Amino acid sequence: MLLVVEPDGSVPIYQQIRDRIVEAIAAGEQPAGSPLPATRQLGVDLGINFHTVNKAYDMLRREGLVRLNRKSGAVIARDASGAPASAEFAVEWGARLHTLLAEAAAQGMSADRIVDATRAIIGTFPLARREEGT
Amino acid sequence: MIRDGAALVLLLPVALVGLFTCIVPALTAPTLQFGVRIPPQRVQAPVIRQQRRAYFWRTGLLAVVITAAAAFVPVGSALLTGALILLLLAAGLGCYFLARERIIAVKEAEDWYGGLRQTIATDTAWRTDPERFPIVWLLPALAVIAATVVVGVVRYPQLPDQLPVHFTVDGTVDRYAAKSVLTAFALVLTQVFVTALIAGLLLATYRSRPEVDAADAVASTQRYRRFLSAMGRGLLVLAALVDLTLLLVAFQMWRVFPPSSAATAQATVPVVVGIIVIAAIGVRMGQAGSRLRGRAEPAPARELAERPSAPGTTVNRDDDRFWVGGLFYVNRQDPAVVVSRRFGVGWTLNFGNPWAWVAVAVIAAAVVALTVVVGHR
Repeated sequence: MLLVVEPDGSVPIYQQIRDRIVEAIAAGEQPAGSPLPATRQLGVDLGINFHTVNKAYDMLRREGLVRLNRKSGAVIARDASGAPASAEFAVEWGARLHTLLAEAAAQGMSADRIVDATRAIIGTFPLARREEGT
Repeated sequence: MIRDGAALVLLLPVALVGLFTCIVPALTAPTLQFGVRIPPQRVQAPVIRQQRRAYFWRTGLLAVVITAAAAFVPVGSALLTGALILLLLAAGLGCYFLARERIIAVKEAEDWYGGLRQTIATDTAWRTDPERFPIVWLLPALAVIAATVVVGVVRYPQLPDQLPVHFTVDGTVDRYAAKSVLTAFALVLTQVFVTALIAGLLLATYRSRPEVDAADAVASTQRYRRFLSAMGRGLLVLAALVDLTLLLVAFQMWRVFPPSSAATAQATVPVVVGIIVIAAIGVRMGQAGSRLRGRAEPAPARELAERPSAPGTTVNRDDDRFWVGGLFYVNRQDPAVVVSRRFGVGWTLNFGNPWAWVAVAVIAAAVVALTVVVGHR
């Protein structure tokens, strides 16, 4: 998985790491069971404190996307091919999506443009697409 | 002037150092010239081409003049030859700073990084599918040490009470020391030190990070893997060859064969071969593999461009502020200890990390301890 962060950007680095890993899971680059680098190793690779990496991994663990254990380190816990999303997740995510769509509408994006953009992004998520068909 | 083999051995290093100083800019990535980080969009900037040419001619002239001067050094004066090499390196450094300052001035005036998305990139496969330390390649060095120990143990009872511990180039002994296990085996200790130093630093390098080009992260990581793999094996061969030179010197000390100028010249051959091997790998692959096929493209990687969250031109972050003079890396926030050098081929330490200072202190202490033992009278 290619991990690109912007150290001087407005988004905190731990949030960027978490976001990139979620995107890699959705894109099928990091399927369930695939390993992630140890926090100290990823800290060295990105030239950042390993606590920052820890914070990102901890977010992913609380979201149920990553499993952390002493022996095998950090491993992807689930991907799009797993069980359907829980009801609580759908509610919480729906609220964030509402804000995101409202931003687009407030900036004058038409409903068609919003839907087209959404379709284009979902098109890059192979597993989600397959689930749609079944 | 007629010169014998021993004197030629002293002339060769001056010429090699001169040649290497001259071609270093060609061995580093176009995005890292004279220790200055350059965005891919600016690698063709006229100032870089001008300064590279100026550096080439200046250092080339210096190399020719100083090598010619070395030809007039009295036979056997290793000290004077060393002084000439230092002079060459210092003058080369002056040329480096001249070129560097000009490029920095233009970089700042034209704001080369203005509007670019500055990133740090890594391919997680570097960790999930790591490059393995070539432990088998350590065996030749260990075999040479073992052979030296065996011969030393066999010879020890027959050694005289006063051991020759220092030779001039023509093989005359100019210093003796009282016989003891420590003085007799001082060169074995030196072998162990050299081998442990090279293997230890190499192991730290294998565990550290590759030199990644954010615009071409996967391919540049691949190139770095090939570079590390070749350089790692080359350095372990160098360790074996240094140990072999020390074995040949020890054999003179132990009178396995008599000391002579020919024997001294022969003893330096393995080290010279080892250094040429390393230089050849450096010239062929370039620093961190920058001269290997599949060179970084200025355009962003395809998969990156497709992803909506990472649009546009991503380039490596301008990290010049962490590089003192473009030569010394000092970054307190960076947990890495070993990082790729910016000017030259190989690695350097992050002096902002306390562990780098621990490593320097341990190496310095070992050198001092070894000097005391070898110089023991």
